[in-house]
Parts: sequence; structure tokens; C-alpha cells
Amino acid sequence: MTRGPIPKKETSLIAWGAHGSSSSREYIETITVISAVTVLGWFLAPHTSHLAFGLVYLLAVIALSLRVGRWPVLLSGILSAMAWDFLIIPPHFSFAVMSVEDGMMLGTYCVVALVAGQLTARVRAQELVERLREQRATALFHLTRALAATRTLDEATTAFLCQTEEVFNAKTALLFIGENDTLSAHHANSFSLNETESNVAKWVQNHRKEAGRFTQTFATAEAFYLPLSDADICHGVFVLCPAPIVATITPVQRELIGDFATQITLMIKRETLRTAIERERMLARSQELHHTLLDSVSHELKTPLAVLSTVIEKLNTKTQVERESLLEEVRIATKRLTRLVNNLLNQTRLESGTIKPRLDWCNARDIINAALRGIADLLSPGNPVTINIPADMPLIMADAALMEQAVFNLLHNAIKHTPQNTEIILSAGVRNENPPRAFITIADRGPGLAPELRINPFQKFRRAANAPAGGLGLGLSVVRGFVVAQGGEVQAGENPGGGAVFTVYLPHFSHGVVPIEE
Amino acid sequence: MSTEATKAEILVVDDEIQIRRLLISIMEEAGYNVRKAETGKTALTEAAARRYDIIILDLGLPDIPGIEVLKQLREWSHTPVLILSVFGEEHDKVAALDAGADDYLTKPFGESELLARVRALLRRVQPADEASPVNFGSVEVDLVRRLVTKSGQPIKLTAREYALLRLFIVHRGKVLTHRLVLSELWGPRSEEQTHYLHVYMTRLRQKLEDEPDTPKFFQTEPGIGYRFTG
Repeated sequence: MTRGPIPKKETSLIAWGAHGSSSSREYIETITVISAVTVLGWFLAPHTSHLAFGLVYLLAVIALSLRVGRWPVLLSGILSAMAWDFLIIPPHFSFAVMSVEDGMMLGTYCVVALVAGQLTARVRAQELVERLREQRATALFHLTRALAATRTLDEATTAFLCQTEEVFNAKTALLFIGENDTLSAHHANSFSLNETESNVAKWVQNHRKEAGRFTQTFATAEAFYLPLSDADICHGVFVLCPAPIVATITPVQRELIGDFATQITLMIKRETLRTAIERERMLARSQELHHTLLDSVSHELKTPLAVLSTVIEKLNTKTQVERESLLEEVRIATKRLTRLVNNLLNQTRLESGTIKPRLDWCNARDIINAALRGIADLLSPGNPVTINIPADMPLIMADAALMEQAVFNLLHNAIKHTPQNTEIILSAGVRNENPPRAFITIADRGPGLAPELRINPFQKFRRAANAPAGGLGLGLSVVRGFVVAQGGEVQAGENPGGGAVFTVYLPHFSHGVVPIEE
Repeated sequence: MSTEATKAEILVVDDEIQIRRLLISIMEEAGYNVRKAETGKTALTEAAARRYDIIILDLGLPDIPGIEVLKQLREWSHTPVLILSVFGEEHDKVAALDAGADDYLTKPFGESELLARVRALLRRVQPADEASPVNFGSVEVDLVRRLVTKSGQPIKLTAREYALLRLFIVHRGKVLTHRLVLSELWGPRSEEQTHYLHVYMTRLRQKLEDEPDTPKFFQTEPGIGYRFTG
């Protein structure tokens, strides 16, 4: 069985206006058919037996019973018997019967026509109920399926309105309860409410009872209003407005509208619940993050400050040599504070979007040299630094200050995570891919990336479980931020032969020609 | 160098009392006469009332932005200006240097670094003696005869390379922004063609530096310009 939209060929028994108002049309049809047969009989009567017409009438009655309701069929039986007797069975223009045979014929006809007509009509009525039930089930099925395919409440509402419109052949609207209990219309609504109609909707919202057209309350309203309520909470109002000529609502329609309303109410409830849970989770996460951040920031800030204040107190009491070593502690603490503040500021600048890279031609060697100068005091004498830059290295397009900070952070990261006396290799070059990319690589011979960091080592506040004390886990996050701001990307990987490799890629361009001199 | 017959006069402009006190103490200890100003307005009055050898100017002043103070000052004074800025103001630094500042320092800075900059600026104040050759490393530059030698061997420089070298020597110690050098050597229309400058700097380093890959005399100020520290 195919489950497309309701096939158009089958007349919808639910939609308003599609099947018209039955009774009057059916009576007219009945009278027309019987009259036509009678006229035919009148002209053919001289040439045939008047009794044969009983069978033609019977055929007409049975045919009618397949199309019209019980009472029109009853009418057709009586009407045809009378017309036959009055106009076709002699004597004409009289209900009198001339022979016993005619009387028997007429009597039998009456009984057969009435019984056959009623039986057929009853079978048809039953079939109608079946079809109605099936259409109702199909409509509901289509609705639930359409709703299930949606991801957001907005999509669900749009699908719902679309289905409702099609099934009921009416303009529809859904009103949601927004802030301060005001009703707000959905953008996919096909029925827009004027002030009078809005008042009805407001009443429905407040009383959580149906109202408007087809009801006792606000019966003059244009549309029919149903509250989308669940227990004591009203989630919204469902509005249906069939064409103005429609006068009634069938119980089946009313029931199906109720079913539809239940479906969308469930969707709204689910969505409300989902947002509430989501909000709760976000809040918990942000609180947790806040706590960790506060903990680690205060730890990171307080450690060097503690060093500083302790050293100051001790300075007076110590000998010259001891003072020297104490001052070295001050220097280390100050550098640490500076790095921390810089990284915090950089991260903040990145997140507030105030970083606007000023791209210009740069010498990669200059950038590396500047970063190395900045970190010189952290490099132990045993930390051999190798720089591999091809002699014909072209200029790269970058923001020198941001690149210097990025390389500085990567160097600091390498020094921090590798044992003393291991090599650090800095390289730069251009990969002739399509499009070409310039790169700066910082490789070390340390333990490599911790397994838990391999997936995304650049996430902020992420630190390896076995990382040495100190640091917030902002350094690499700032690197990524700065590089991405310049249109590049940064990758972390394993150094063949042990250690970690961080590579910064930037889009590469060739600069214009430099004027040649004589 | 600084403690000659007359002590050099230095004006410190900063609104932070601790920085001011620190600067004054460092400068006085090094043998300079120091006066202070807390706001841009008093700085301008101060600079007009006396002759200073160096003005140390903070970019973030409470009343007038430091860059405005500098611009107004440059309308009538050539006193060397050393800019103090905080981390992350690269753009402001370039603007200040373009507006006529001579050098910059980023807070926090070390005492030795500060004094080195001050000394370099004071040296520049003394009239350049074009007659005597300039020496740095194993290089000797005779500005009168336009002769450059390295370890006694003559070095061939193109006209522009020589012009670049001369510009650096005249402004030794001073940070020259890309824009300024480009405008001087290639004309104001080429101010954006930074690659010209980078390419020429590489050539100049290769010809004159002992280790061109880790230059000693022609230093890069990333994103800002170059400085000659011969």
C-alpha cells in the first residue's frame, strides 16, 4: 500500500466543501432521475408493455441507492411507484389499477424497490463509515510521519499547518504563547487574525475551551479555535477557518481536529522539555567551566605573586650570593606572569573578535628569530635549536606580530614538554600544492602528544594529564586563533623517530616584481 | 657618554605613578636630569617651556592620547621621542613611529634595554659628522667618498642599496617604519610595496652582516620596520 499524500482521485470525506452539502443535492438528483425515466416511459408506453417499466424503475432505484443516502432512496422508491401507477399504468392520470395483474406487479415493485434500495443504501453507508475511518487514520498517520521527520519545532509547526490545510481544506493558524502570556502567530500561518479574532483566541487561551465558529461561544467568529492544552497548561491555540459557506462541522471532523491538536501539543511539550534540559545542561557546563577556570587562573596568578612577595621579604636578610639566586626567582616569576597575562589577553581578544590581522609581506626567518629572542632565557644551553630554511625562501604573507606570538607559543610548548638537552627543529618553506602553502614547523624530540590530546590539542584550557605544573592550557589555543585569523591552519602530529610536530600553514602568494636597478 | 659637561635633560610622561617613579629613579641613577609630566597637556607645556634631549612618552594618557601629544609636539619640535606602549598595540606603535616618534618600548621592559635605547637616541642628537667614516663590525662606510668596505675589501652596492644603508646610518638607533623607508627610497607611491624593502634588506644583510641569517646590525622589528644598531 503506497503512503503518499492522500490521493486526489479519492474524494476526501473529511475536507470541508469537497463533498458539498449532501441532502438537497441528493434529493434533486433522485427527482431528476425518476422524472427522466418517467418521461422515457411516457413516450415508449404505446410501443411496449407498461409492466416492463417496473424493471426500468427498479434499475433506477438501485442505481440511485449506490449514489445517494437512505432517505433519498426511500423517496425514489415511493416516487417511482407513484409515477408508474399515475402516468404509465392505465388508466393514465389515475392511481386506480385496472387489472389484478397490474396491482400485484405494483405491490411487488413497491416492496422490492424499498427493500433493495434500503439494503444497498445501508451497505453504502457502512462503506462510507469505513472509508471515513480509513481516511481519518491515514490523515493522522501522515501527520505523525511528517512531524517525526522534523528536527525543530518550527519545522514541525510548518509541516503541521501544511497537513492541516490539506486535510481539512481550511485556512489554519497556530498561535504560541510567548513572553508575558501574549500570543504570537507562527510565520507559516495561512490565516491571519484581526482584532476581533485575536480576542477570541485570547479567550480560548485563558479558558482553555474551544470557541468560535461551530460552537456556542463567539459563534459569529470567522474561525474555529481549539486550545492546545495539556493538564493545566495552555501551550497555544489552534485556529481553523473553512470557507465561509461551510455551515457545519461533522463529529468526525471535530474528532480529527482534536487528534491533530493532541499531536502538535505533544510536539510543543517535547520541544519545551528539550530546551529546558538543554539549558540546564549548558548552565551546568558553564558553571563547571567557570569553576575550573577560576581555580586555575587564580592558581596561575597567585603562584608567581607568592614567589614575588616571599622573595621581597627575604631580600634584606640574605647574603649577596643568596640575593642573586632569589632575584633569579623573581625574574622567572615575572616572565611567567607576563606570559600568562599575554595569553589571557590574546584569548580574550580572539574571542571578542577584536583581532584584525594586518597581512603584509614578512620574512619567515625574521619571525623565527624574533620568537627565539623572546624565549632565549628559557632555552637551556643543552637545548640545541636547529633552523632549516631554504636559501631561496620567498617572503610570506602574514601578520608579523601574530605569527611571532604563535611561533613563540609553539616554542614555549616544545620547551615545556621536552626534557632538557633535546633538540628543537624549526623549519620553514613552501609546499607547491594547489593552492601553494607556506609553512613553519616546530618539531621536538620529547614524548610526543599525550593520547588524550591527539584529537584536538588546540582546544582552550586543555592540558595533558602529565603536563608539568604551570600554564592554563591557553598557549596552543591562542596559536590556532592567531593562525586561523590569518587564513591559515595549524596541525599537530607525530615526529617520525619520536616527538611532536606542530606545523603552521598559511596560504602562499608570490610577491610582485621588485624594480631592477642598473 | 651622557655624563658630559651638561647633563642630558629627559622628560618622562606617564600617568602611572609607579612607572613614573621607576623611570625617574633609573634615569637619575644613570646620570640624567629628569622632569615629569602626568598628562598630555602638562607634557606639551613642559616641552615648550624647556629644552629637552629626550621625551619618554606613554601612549595611554588620561587626557589627550599619546599619539596626539606627539603630533602636536612634532609641529614645532624635533626632540627625540621614545614611545612606551603596552602589549598588543602594534598598530598604535606604527602610527606613532610614522607620526615622528624615534623609538618604542613595550611594557614591561628591562632597565638595560631602556637605557640602551636612551643612549642610542642621545647619540643621534649629536650632529652627525659626515666627514668621519662610520664603522660597525668589520664594515667601514665612508659617506663622503661613497665607499663601503668589509674587512678591508670593497663591497659593491647598487645605488638603492647604498641609499638604504645611508638612510639607516643617518637614523642609527631609530626604528624606521616600512612606510618611511619605502617613501624615501621608492617614492610615496610605493609605500605599500613592503616586499621591495624586505628583498633589499636581505641583500644588504648578505653583503654586510657576518651572519646574515642572524643579523646583528640590521634588525627586524616584526610588523613595524627595521632598526640599524651599528
